[in-house]
Amino acid sequence: MSVTHEPFDTFAALHAVGALDGDDLRMFEAHLATGCARCATIVRQTEQALARAAMAGPPEPPPSDVRERLVKRAAAATAPGRRRWIPLTVGIVAAAIAAGAFSAAYVAARYEARLGQMAREASAAKERLARTEADLREELALLRDPTTRMVELRGEAAAPGAVARVLWADGAGGLLLATRLPPPPPGKVYALWTLDGNAPRPAGVFVPDDGGRATLKVAAEATGAPLRVLSVTVEPEGGAAAPTGAIALAPR
Amino acid sequence: MSNGADLIHQMAEGDAEAFARFYDRYAPLIYPLILRILPDPADAGECLQDVFWESRQRARTYDAARATPDAWLVTRARARAIERMRSTRRRRESAPLGAARAASAALLERPPSVERSVLMRAFERLPDPQREALELAYYGGLTQTEITARLKQPLGTVKTRLRLALDRLREMVKPA
Repeated sequence: MSVTHEPFDTFAALHAVGALDGDDLRMFEAHLATGCARCATIVRQTEQALARAAMAGPPEPPPSDVRERLVKRAAAATAPGRRRWIPLTVGIVAAAIAAGAFSAAYVAARYEARLGQMAREASAAKERLARTEADLREELALLRDPTTRMVELRGEAAAPGAVARVLWADGAGGLLLATRLPPPPPGKVYALWTLDGNAPRPAGVFVPDDGGRATLKVAAEATGAPLRVLSVTVEPEGGAAAPTGAIALAPR
Repeated sequence: MSNGADLIHQMAEGDAEAFARFYDRYAPLIYPLILRILPDPADAGECLQDVFWESRQRARTYDAARATPDAWLVTRARARAIERMRSTRRRRESAPLGAARAASAALLERPPSVERSVLMRAFERLPDPQREALELAYYGGLTQTEITARLKQPLGTVKTRLRLALDRLREMVKPA
């Protein structure tokens, strides 16, 4: 790398440490999008050097409960059914093959059963698709509605990195879209609360997916008009009549 | 012993033992960095947990051609710790005095070894002005404009200091 192509050599190094901003950042991102291999290499090497340097110090044992929680969570995530599915399928296929060796009629019956099962699965998939399409149409209608308002929520103590938005049209209901939510503690869910006069009113509970994302449909009657969002809190699975747990999200 | 990339690939396949080994190998190395950014051990522990869980969930997207396992993990750890620090800072700015006091108490109680452990030799060997700018960017999550305001130096000077610091760092920790 003897030929310089400033300012991009500098931009690439600064970008790797997250220090680039403003016009420099825009200029660099546009340049990088052209596929500049030299800049990509500088960014990668700088990130690598920072990582090596960061890990060069003496190790520090982390709190022991962190490992315990992670191992438990990983076990819970892999336990249900998923791992047994493949051997089970293999078993069914093997059984079908063995049966075929004895009786063509039995094989035909297996196929019929399998076809019947596939038809049921296809019909269930169709139903799911129809529901998803209906949901998406509803969400699109909400976005198109000129009366739709948006309330932004910011992560609080129970979910500091989280952000969320509530899209709301009076009379039609709304949608909560959240991201970067940590999974709730075992036995807990997130609950959305609105304000009815001065009293909190439950507007639904939800659990984020593995990526920390969540979508919750909010019924029109979940709040008086106009919408007033109080908070999202961590509550027991069965729900609660009024907020009792730590606040995860609150309006900005 | 498996290397980091092997462990990530095994983790992507849902191998619980590989996940535990990945944690045992990297957590003690990553934790000092997180603790440097988030001095409150409770906060740092939660952040560490998020980082490893996210790594497990994203293991399938790991591309050895784009990043070493170290860089893959450190980049994520630093990003999550800085996000958390910013969010805590925002809350503290609007929080009552009690919370601010608790936060300063946590800072004072920070074990003295931590500062030394993460201020690794490579950073220490940089000239002070360069080290200062790099620490503000790397541990403080500040951008060039924010560092300019903090150090009361022209933007060009800050960019040059950061560039020189990073060039030297790349030279110093070059793989053998």
